Amino acid sequence: MSRPRTNAKLAGIERYRQQVISHPLARGISLDDVRDHLANLPRKRFPRVAYGNRGGIPCVQPRGGVPLFEAQYQLTRQLSEAGADFIPLTIDSYTRQNQYETATQLLRRSEEEGKNYLNGYPLISHGYELTRELYHEIDKPISLRHGTPDARLLVEVAIASGITEIEGGGICYCLPYSEGFPLDRCLLYWQYVDRVCAVNSSEDLPIHRESFGPLTATLVPPAIALAIEIVEALLAAEQGVTSFAVSFGQTGSIIQDIAAGRVLRRLTRHYLDRFGFEAVQSYIVYHQWMGQFPSGREKATAIIVGSSIISSMISADKIVVKTRDEALGVPSAEVNAEAVDTVRYVLRTFGCAEPVTSPLVDCEATLIESEVTSILGAIFDMSGDVFWESVFRAFQMGYLDVPFSPHIDNANKLISMRDRNGSIRISERGNVPISDEDAQLERRLLASRDIELDKSYRQLLTDINVMV
Amino acid sequence: MIIGVIGDDVHVVGNRIMQLALEESGFQVFNLGTRNRPSHFRQAALEVNAHAVFVSSLNGEGEYWCADFRRQFADVGLGNIILYVGGNLVVGKRPQEDVVKTFKSYGFDRVYHQQRDIGVAIADLVEDLKHVQATYQRETRGN
Repeated sequence: MSRPRTNAKLAGIERYRQQVISHPLARGISLDDVRDHLANLPRKRFPRVAYGNRGGIPCVQPRGGVPLFEAQYQLTRQLSEAGADFIPLTIDSYTRQNQYETATQLLRRSEEEGKNYLNGYPLISHGYELTRELYHEIDKPISLRHGTPDARLLVEVAIASGITEIEGGGICYCLPYSEGFPLDRCLLYWQYVDRVCAVNSSEDLPIHRESFGPLTATLVPPAIALAIEIVEALLAAEQGVTSFAVSFGQTGSIIQDIAAGRVLRRLTRHYLDRFGFEAVQSYIVYHQWMGQFPSGREKATAIIVGSSIISSMISADKIVVKTRDEALGVPSAEVNAEAVDTVRYVLRTFGCAEPVTSPLVDCEATLIESEVTSILGAIFDMSGDVFWESVFRAFQMGYLDVPFSPHIDNANKLISMRDRNGSIRISERGNVPISDEDAQLERRLLASRDIELDKSYRQLLTDINVMV
Repeated sequence: MIIGVIGDDVHVVGNRIMQLALEESGFQVFNLGTRNRPSHFRQAALEVNAHAVFVSSLNGEGEYWCADFRRQFADVGLGNIILYVGGNLVVGKRPQEDVVKTFKSYGFDRVYHQQRDIGVAIADLVEDLKHVQATYQRETRGN
């Protein structure tokens, strides 16, 4: 049996850290200096404080990262002034792939030519001392958004820069982003990240971790996303993380979103408590539609408005927002700030004091909860005594199977489609260990829809691009 | 048949849909997934004795990787294999007939540039593989 354990912390972290930060691009980070810097940050820079002060309205977080320091400085201020509650720092793809040399060269070229040759902020190339300057006078949490399988150095530099929220995880930053980065190594590297967040935390001001639940954002059934989120919360808790947000992406069905939010909140708490992690505070983050966006700006705005209302209906702690230019590429600072303003307006206007419910939502929630419980039960019951290894094997066995992941360790046996409510249904479960009853119910719900197209692949394409 | 995405492209959605669509039409598909070099297609075609190879590219890297594609197959005795290519084949906007001409010169039998529906290619494939189907049926009748 491989249950998560309170005594599974990575050993020898101090020496391991010295090894990681001996990299020249760490620019001589001193762990004492990092501790002092964190201790002197305003309290409001920590997510726990921001979440505690949010009142009944979800916190709002845009995305945003540009290569040049000056431009990032402006973007940070514009987003903050527009009312963002969390300030993003999105990292460029070369840094995510640990290609620091290339990132640095392209940063220099961007500086010389005044053109952007990177799709994000190359944090390691800029270094922690300069990056600290980005956030003087900012009293909101800064969130590291990336997609890095090996984020050990990146996270050291981020925390040294005063970044207090680290997104990612061994599964959610590997399966959707990489075709061949070994999943077992990725899980181990993220143990390091979790442990480093934990050792940099104080009791009331922890470094906060967040998982990325949308995954491939392509017909991922809620049961799969939720099981992975809970697994990542448990893996982080094993390393001593005490502040963790689970998340999921808008499914395309309001009923399913509300049900998924309810089950995710309940089960995350349930499993953390069950394995002795009562001290971990958990939060729910909702991502606005992560699939293909319409290129028309009015339609894009309509999605943004609709999903903001849903985030209210599920009482999300935070909503991560898109912009009306999503289909067109990296948005300008103005468009990004405008999105933040729109979302805040909607949240203020259509606030929900309590999570919304209905008999349909109850049915959906019962089904999702039963499926997640079966999947997690099968993982916990695997032979072996190390939880992360079972998680790794769960992918090899196809117990966890993420639709449309490019990764070689993903089984690709599960097939999902939309039912007539737009909810994502499992039409072929592959090796995912949900019960026969649940599998039959999924198929029955799917059958209630009139299949309009003669070939299932055409239906799949329609279901994937449902918002376009 | 062999399918896969060429270059360092990891766009996997179209690739998975292609596999489902081809299987639904009765093809036996060996899917190489993403990030393939021309030699991967060649090796796979040799290994499974494929009748056809269908290369895809979404980010436009196809043009760089596919030059000389037919010759690479000819080198290992597969000069007559059916070669298809489809997707977003070049970077930037170029006239359809230019793109088709370029890829035909690389040795592809059929080229689908920015063709939205895979159904068109599947119909062509059924047509182009008619003789294979006939041979296969003769063989099975003989058994």
